Amino acid sequence: MDCSLVRTLVHRYCAGEENCVDSRTIYVGHREPPPGAEAYIPQRHPDNRIVSSKYTFWNFIPKNLFEQFRRIANFYFLIIFLVQLIIDTPTSPVTSGLPLFFVITVTAIKQGYEDWLRHKADNAMNQCPVHFIQHGKLVRKQSRKLRVGDIVMVKEDETFPCDLIFLSSSRGDGTCHVTTASLDGESSHKTHYAVQDTKGFHTEEDIDGLHATIECEQPQPDLYKFVGRINVYSDRNDPVVRPLGSENLLLRGATLKNTEKIFGVAIYTGMETKMALNYQSKSQKRSAVEKSMNVFLIVYLCILVSKALINTILKYVWQSEPFRDEPWYNHKTESERQRNLITLARPEGNAKCQIFVVLVMGRGNHAGLSQFLRAFTDFLAFMVLFNYIIPVSMYVTVEMQKFLGSYFITWDEDMFDEDTGEGPLVNTSDLNEELGQVEYVFTDKTGTLTENNMEFKECCIEGHVYVPHAVCNGQVLPNASGIDMIDSSPGAGAREREELFFRALCLCHTIQVKDDDDVDGPRKSPDSGKSCVYISSSPDEVALVEGIQRLGFTYLRLKENYMEILNRENGVERFELLEILSFDSVRRRMSVIVRSATGEIYLFCKGADSSIFPRVIEGKVDQIRSRVERNAVEGLRTLCVAYKRLIPEEYEGVCTLLQAAKVALQDREKKLAEAYEQIEKDLILLGATAVEDRLQEKAADTIEALQKAGIKVWVLTGDKMETAAATCYACKLFRRNTQLLELTTKKIEEQSLHDVLFELSKTVLRHSGSLTRDNFSGLSADMQDHGLIIDGAALSLIMKPREDGSCGNYRELFLEICRNCSAVLCCRMAPLQKAQIVKLIKLSKEHPITLAIGDGANDVSMILEAHVGIGVIGKEGRQAARNSDYAIPKFKHLKKMLLVHGHLYYIRISELVQYFFYKNVCFIFPQFLYQFFCGFSQQTLYDTAYLTLYNISFTSLPILLYSLMEQHVSIDTLRRDPSLYRDIAKNALLRWRVFIYWTFLGVFDALVFFFGAYFMFENTTVTSNGQIFGNWTFGTLVFTVMVFTVTLKLALDTHYWTWINHFVIWGSLLFYVVFSLLWGGIIWPFLSYQRMYFVFIQMLSSGPAWLVIILLITVSLLPDVLKKVLCRQLWPSATEKVQSTRVHGQSRLPELTLLACRRSSSPWATWPGPHAKQEPLSWPPLSSLPHSHSVPVPHGGTTGGQAISPDL
Amino acid sequence: MTKMKKTSQICQSKLPDNTALKQQQLPAYRLQLSATGVLSGFFATGAFCLGVGIILILSAKSIKEIEIKYTKICANCAELREDAINFDKECTCSIPFYLSETMQGNVYLYYKLYGFYQNLYRYILSRSNSQLVGTDLKDVGNCAPFSKSHNGTPIAPCGAIANSIFNDTIILSYNLNSSIHMEVPMLRSGITWWTDKYVKFRNPSAINLSSAFTGTAKPPYWSKPVYELDLEDTENNGFLNDDFIVWMRTAAFPTFKKLYRRLNRVQYFIEGLPAGNYSFNITYNFPVTRFKGEKSVVLSTLTWSGGSSLFLGLTYTVTGAVTWLAAFSMMAIHLMLKEKRTLFIQR
Repeated sequence: MDCSLVRTLVHRYCAGEENCVDSRTIYVGHREPPPGAEAYIPQRHPDNRIVSSKYTFWNFIPKNLFEQFRRIANFYFLIIFLVQLIIDTPTSPVTSGLPLFFVITVTAIKQGYEDWLRHKADNAMNQCPVHFIQHGKLVRKQSRKLRVGDIVMVKEDETFPCDLIFLSSSRGDGTCHVTTASLDGESSHKTHYAVQDTKGFHTEEDIDGLHATIECEQPQPDLYKFVGRINVYSDRNDPVVRPLGSENLLLRGATLKNTEKIFGVAIYTGMETKMALNYQSKSQKRSAVEKSMNVFLIVYLCILVSKALINTILKYVWQSEPFRDEPWYNHKTESERQRNLITLARPEGNAKCQIFVVLVMGRGNHAGLSQFLRAFTDFLAFMVLFNYIIPVSMYVTVEMQKFLGSYFITWDEDMFDEDTGEGPLVNTSDLNEELGQVEYVFTDKTGTLTENNMEFKECCIEGHVYVPHAVCNGQVLPNASGIDMIDSSPGAGAREREELFFRALCLCHTIQVKDDDDVDGPRKSPDSGKSCVYISSSPDEVALVEGIQRLGFTYLRLKENYMEILNRENGVERFELLEILSFDSVRRRMSVIVRSATGEIYLFCKGADSSIFPRVIEGKVDQIRSRVERNAVEGLRTLCVAYKRLIPEEYEGVCTLLQAAKVALQDREKKLAEAYEQIEKDLILLGATAVEDRLQEKAADTIEALQKAGIKVWVLTGDKMETAAATCYACKLFRRNTQLLELTTKKIEEQSLHDVLFELSKTVLRHSGSLTRDNFSGLSADMQDHGLIIDGAALSLIMKPREDGSCGNYRELFLEICRNCSAVLCCRMAPLQKAQIVKLIKLSKEHPITLAIGDGANDVSMILEAHVGIGVIGKEGRQAARNSDYAIPKFKHLKKMLLVHGHLYYIRISELVQYFFYKNVCFIFPQFLYQFFCGFSQQTLYDTAYLTLYNISFTSLPILLYSLMEQHVSIDTLRRDPSLYRDIAKNALLRWRVFIYWTFLGVFDALVFFFGAYFMFENTTVTSNGQIFGNWTFGTLVFTVMVFTVTLKLALDTHYWTWINHFVIWGSLLFYVVFSLLWGGIIWPFLSYQRMYFVFIQMLSSGPAWLVIILLITVSLLPDVLKKVLCRQLWPSATEKVQSTRVHGQSRLPELTLLACRRSSSPWATWPGPHAKQEPLSWPPLSSLPHSHSVPVPHGGTTGGQAISPDL
Repeated sequence: MTKMKKTSQICQSKLPDNTALKQQQLPAYRLQLSATGVLSGFFATGAFCLGVGIILILSAKSIKEIEIKYTKICANCAELREDAINFDKECTCSIPFYLSETMQGNVYLYYKLYGFYQNLYRYILSRSNSQLVGTDLKDVGNCAPFSKSHNGTPIAPCGAIANSIFNDTIILSYNLNSSIHMEVPMLRSGITWWTDKYVKFRNPSAINLSSAFTGTAKPPYWSKPVYELDLEDTENNGFLNDDFIVWMRTAAFPTFKKLYRRLNRVQYFIEGLPAGNYSFNITYNFPVTRFKGEKSVVLSTLTWSGGSSLFLGLTYTVTGAVTWLAAFSMMAIHLMLKEKRTLFIQR
């Protein structure tokens, strides 16, 4: 006994906190299990306190500072500041300390405030009362005192205080309804089930008598996965073991609905709840602009270091003459002299040599060391002198620009969807400019391109087609219910099959019926049955059940494990629901096992054709298959229905198989899948259904615009190839002249993967040889382009590393093919494969910027993988929106998001970055030049106040406001002319060439300021009264010219002059003047020096100074203006053409766009087109298709859309 | 971040405000670089620059300036000053010169130093402002190594700048004929900034200057204490001495000139300096050969645009010319392209 105690203690304290065991055991109500049961190792669990705050009162300052200085830029500024404090430097530590202090303080205040809010929220949550059962009585306690094993009572509309195992409910059938709106945004009610053996415990006393242990896995963040089992002990018998799954688990954060109260036992508390585990932030994405900014930063750091190094070396060269090192008028102090001994000893030595010698001599020579230290100190002093070349304010401005700028997205009225009342969401503001750089768009099909608003179109039973009247001819006829049989009437046997089919569809689903009022009892009349509201996570199922309702069979409800359906004769049929073999995206099918009133046991299976047909042994497979394919070509979503009859012995076998899999703690998923595989076989095919999913409004228009913008659009879908291809045609991803290339399992079966790939690449490359860059002229409709179709199986073959290690080979080839295709369709994709594709492209040679857009949980992996993830706030819940960087209500909003917002953000931030580097070159380069004239003595050119305020106030606001307001082209033009997007592709404004141009412009301007003023001072008396100006006037003159030049340069770059721009640009110039007047106008008592006293005013009082200022500003601005004008005239970019055409009032480009639209808009008319004939895939001509109304007509509103509607 | 998410979610519950700012539709003027605008801008700028340049050149032409380097001329004095031991030996030097043309108007006398770094970092710092405004004579904080004398009394004015004051005396005499040598009357006032003289520099308050400076020592290189700089004029003595104030405004470059005197336009000199024979009589005190420098005296007239040198005027003219050149070539390109475009459209 002692021994075991020691062992547990050792376990507890030495083997780490916990989690050394991969499952946990919970005693329900803290009751020890009867002796003889297995000895469990007790584990410690945290209490139910939620801590979302980062800091406490005590650790805020150190922890926050640590966090902030972990950023490389902040750390750099800290080092500079410390160096300034320690060594004797020309600039006061205030100049870099003050801005740094400001930045750090503001950030700390912001973070502190946010943390305080979190503390408040945490406290409110931790202190809210919770009902416990203690010794058979109900006790109220604070939520944070809840512990694992406590039995908790939750009432209606309360949220669950922690993750609970559902023991019993006030409802007789042991179910409860829950909404998880605050967890994953899905507002539909979900049903959870109490544990079978405990659902009878309805009162506090009963539940207190429960004797059970729960074993479950350690907490993990997946909201939809849970594996555990419960052992219920009763009367000394062997415990009853029951499986626990996610249907028994009530998650913290969810709300109880439609149920009076429930009892549950806490299994995960506090920070271990699934909600808390999901708090963890996603990995940070960095934009391309930020990356190039960091590269530029390193370049500037190198410039800084080399400047300091050059000056240090020159200083020693210059000082090698003693009369320069210590002229009679500038004696050294004693301390300096001591450090200098060595210099005097070897006056002829070259400084570089000396340093080298010092390095070689090493530490042995004390004098050498001190010499080296002195040189190093000088180096640091020069570093400090030039450190403003990388200003703190750049980071602050970039952050502010991103943060404030992202509000323009949320504020945008055009991206607000009035139907759903949703607007765009910005979950991260770090990627705004990345929206302007997208090269690949990966889009989901269902719910993203299409409405995900399913409508039942037809069903096919044994080859006979049934169409509900209600949707015939595209119109909904009121009160029309009945069957329109297209084929000849079926015989008597067929009628039995038909009814079986309808029953199958009525039973094989996971729909709930929403009962708004608590009227119990079945709704007898068919009319009231019609008004039933079905809720399901899958809209297909709702569409099917509603469609079947129109064909005569109505699903009423699930009551006490009996499914009730209303048949054509208005009789209620009851089926006992035995098992649900739930849907998953790998199997792509689901099944139910039911027992009819007559005692027959059926298994109904519903799923994708590819997953049903191989398992069918009977039925009119060929007829149904042809119908399914035909429907798929039309863009309908098809499902096949099959059944099998189980004899009781078989059912027993099935039961044990399932039970064994369900109670497994390890690999339950895998075992269940194996069990399903065994059960769902030897089916009899009944028929197929077709559901239409309408294309989203303006989806085609959006895709067309994206393609014109040079973005490659890939559709990744789980749907079958034909359905997906039809959708692609409908949304103009493929055009009539698109040559389709196929890389599918079917084809690979015929030839080897190797051959197929090589053949395809040959086809593609042959064309791309003749296809020159004209492709980018926006008239790609005339060009031969390729579309690739690939399916999941083929993809996994390509991705699979081969045994001989040459895995990269196929991938490269595949990428090569993809690069030359204008559109790619990937069908039959599993969620992870979607992410794989994105990753493949993302990591390919050119490192293109990728964007993934999707609406469902299956798109989350892809959204997280892509550079920019966009969630569509759709019908399948908010999971995608929550995990995305940006969320938009509709696919069509992507157009404005990329073409307008992305473009503008990119223009803005790139100018911001370039301008910041430019203005700091202008700022620091004269300082560098001045060292050559002051004996490299680290004398500053500008006054401390100017050094400090240049980046903070004189030149900060204009660029910030520019980077928020600038519209180089109007928003309308950007939207109308997608090809403008190509102008900024591939980080065009932050390429090396542009960067070097800006840097040289900065250097040129700096030379102009400095030497202009230098020659002025050198040769001339600047005043007209003979008086002389000193070095501070010189610095002020340079500085004044610089502030004006730099601000006016921005003014020349600004295309969009609102009153705000006027205000900040002229305002900051005025501020500079007023500040300088004030700064020099008063003897400031707190300053130890008065060097700026009246300097500025004296300067302005001299005429020649004015002339110099005007001259130098003109000279430094002229070349840039000249270059701009010449480039515009000789090599205008598309953007500049648009800018100037607007001036002439005649817009040529929109016309062209319109033409292109018209030409490319009707792929349906002549489809399949001449090229398709060469292709192995033969598309049935559209004219033979019966439902011409299924061709989606793009809604008008754009020039293109309006132009084409008459054609159709 | 999370907070932002929450607030934005709240905002989304209703339609966003339709304000011009939020929809990025603020009324704005669009800056266009249209051909006519740019060309006219260039022509205007060019014309302005040319105009100003020509005016400046013309006005600079009227300026007369004479500079005489006297380090070599007074070589013996320079040699004497090489060694600091000879500091108390007086050395004078006379430099005759001929003024061929009258210097009309105000004439200014400058001294100019070559290779003297008044802008060394330690040098510029080495002064005490609280001393110079007369508040605290004992404050010699930044002045090392010229802060205290050997016996520990604070130096006033302390620091390297004050210590190294330019101490040559330059007297200009006019030789009317071979017998009459008259000293050209010079004003020593008005050579400093008004604010320097009346605000920034103050003598410590006391009954007389010498008592005000008791307890301080003279700078080591000075021959007399600060309160004896100008015994004739109390307004020009102590820290208020004009030469001292001028020296204390540190120059921007190692080659610099400083205003020394200006012509007092009386008697013969009402019109300025008449043509004729002159000579500078210089008491040579300031050593420059030790730092391989030179010194010179400069006589110059001024116009509204300051002193001589064609720099400003020439730069303006060149800029104007270049701007016009650019404008013409742009116009040519523009017209050429226009022609091409019309051809293209016709075809």
